[in-house]
Amino acid sequence: MSNVAEPAVTSREEEEEDPHPAAEDEDTGAPVAPIVRLEEVSVVTGEENEEILLNLKAKLYRFDKEGNQWKERGVGTVKLLKDKVNGKVRLVMRQNKTLKICANHLVLPGLSIQEHHGNDKSCVWHAADFADGELKDETFCIRFPSVQDCKTFKDKIEEITESLAQDRGESEEANATASLLENLSVEGKDSKEKPETKESSVESKDSDEKPKVKEEAPLSVSEKKDNNE
Amino acid sequence: MALPNQQTVEYPSFKLVIVGDGGTGKTTFVKRHLTGEFEKKYEPTIGVEVHPLDFHTNCGKIRFYCWDTAGQEKFGGLRDGYYIHGQCAIIMFDVTARLTYKNVPTWHRDLCRVCENIPIVLCGNKVDVKNRQVKAKQVTFHRKKNLQYYEISAKSNYNFEKPFLYLARKLAGDVSLHFVESPALAPPEVHIDMAAQQLHEAELAQAASQPLPDDDDESFD
Repeated sequence: MSNVAEPAVTSREEEEEDPHPAAEDEDTGAPVAPIVRLEEVSVVTGEENEEILLNLKAKLYRFDKEGNQWKERGVGTVKLLKDKVNGKVRLVMRQNKTLKICANHLVLPGLSIQEHHGNDKSCVWHAADFADGELKDETFCIRFPSVQDCKTFKDKIEEITESLAQDRGESEEANATASLLENLSVEGKDSKEKPETKESSVESKDSDEKPKVKEEAPLSVSEKKDNNE
Repeated sequence: MALPNQQTVEYPSFKLVIVGDGGTGKTTFVKRHLTGEFEKKYEPTIGVEVHPLDFHTNCGKIRFYCWDTAGQEKFGGLRDGYYIHGQCAIIMFDVTARLTYKNVPTWHRDLCRVCENIPIVLCGNKVDVKNRQVKAKQVTFHRKKNLQYYEISAKSNYNFEKPFLYLARKLAGDVSLHFVESPALAPPEVHIDMAAQQLHEAELAQAASQPLPDDDDESFD
């Protein structure tokens, strides 16, 4: 702590400088020899085969049970993405600048999104999150710049979960009907009319959902994307 | 490079030594990158804590082993031992505490005694605070010793990625290296039983009544 000049005290008091002056990206570092040689690789976001249903700026928090408090998880963009092949919808949020993943989980019919008491710009939910590449139970809170954004997000999630629940209800009903039909067909075709009409709805339902491809498959697309800096 | 008690990885990794006075925000800065959280509570680091920190770049995944060292003299421990084989470094000071800037040359000298010719970034932390004691124009040490300098705020995330980006570019000798999206893998299907569901709902109700730590912060960039 010896050889640095004491900053000029006079200038300190008088000028209110910009805390973030320009030319800060100027490289003042001494030249050093690189220690690795890296080749450019193609960027895989994992989102290549998905349709963006929603894309908003937000701040995400996770609930720390032991401390009974919210902790920040990241600031960035939250997306709802629908797989073009299997129709699954997931929530993916990335941190600004580093583009790391703060949240990555499926939107399932059981997902219940709730108001955050006393704050109409934020809402809460629970999910089995896969952000770190392993499933972890997390309670999340997300905060938006505006009440409107929060509503948009909440409404969209609810729309998705309701449609999923409906689909599931229908397919359960369909399965029940189908097994009933099987039994009936053994006994005789003439007993009931009603299930026949149901069966046709079962078929159309099935064909809608037919392409059940494994999730891992469509990840290999190597499309280069600009990072949104 | 193999380090004690650290799993080795098949992608490039670098030992990053982080030094500076106690309370300048070294641990908070590392934690911010690791989990996203901003820790307000000050708990001095004892000795050193090593955290692997990964980034995805246009040249693949890289890892910094962050050696987050004790800033307080009394907790310093085996200082030279922490520096050895350091491949890059961050020297942190607090722009709201002039003494922490005055001590930068000492940290720099100690570091350079062990690590020669490594890329070093000087970071002036806490620039979000209104009453700065060290203004940007008063920071001159980096010019004398040829270091890179960034004004940062672990609290607001201002420039928080810059030190790592700079070091990565220097270590790879590639000025156009940049961060890219890390791959968002497809989350596996989960089955939730009723008992677990009820537990989650109870926790959710508890959580929903807790306020956020930074409700007033309006910055989303």
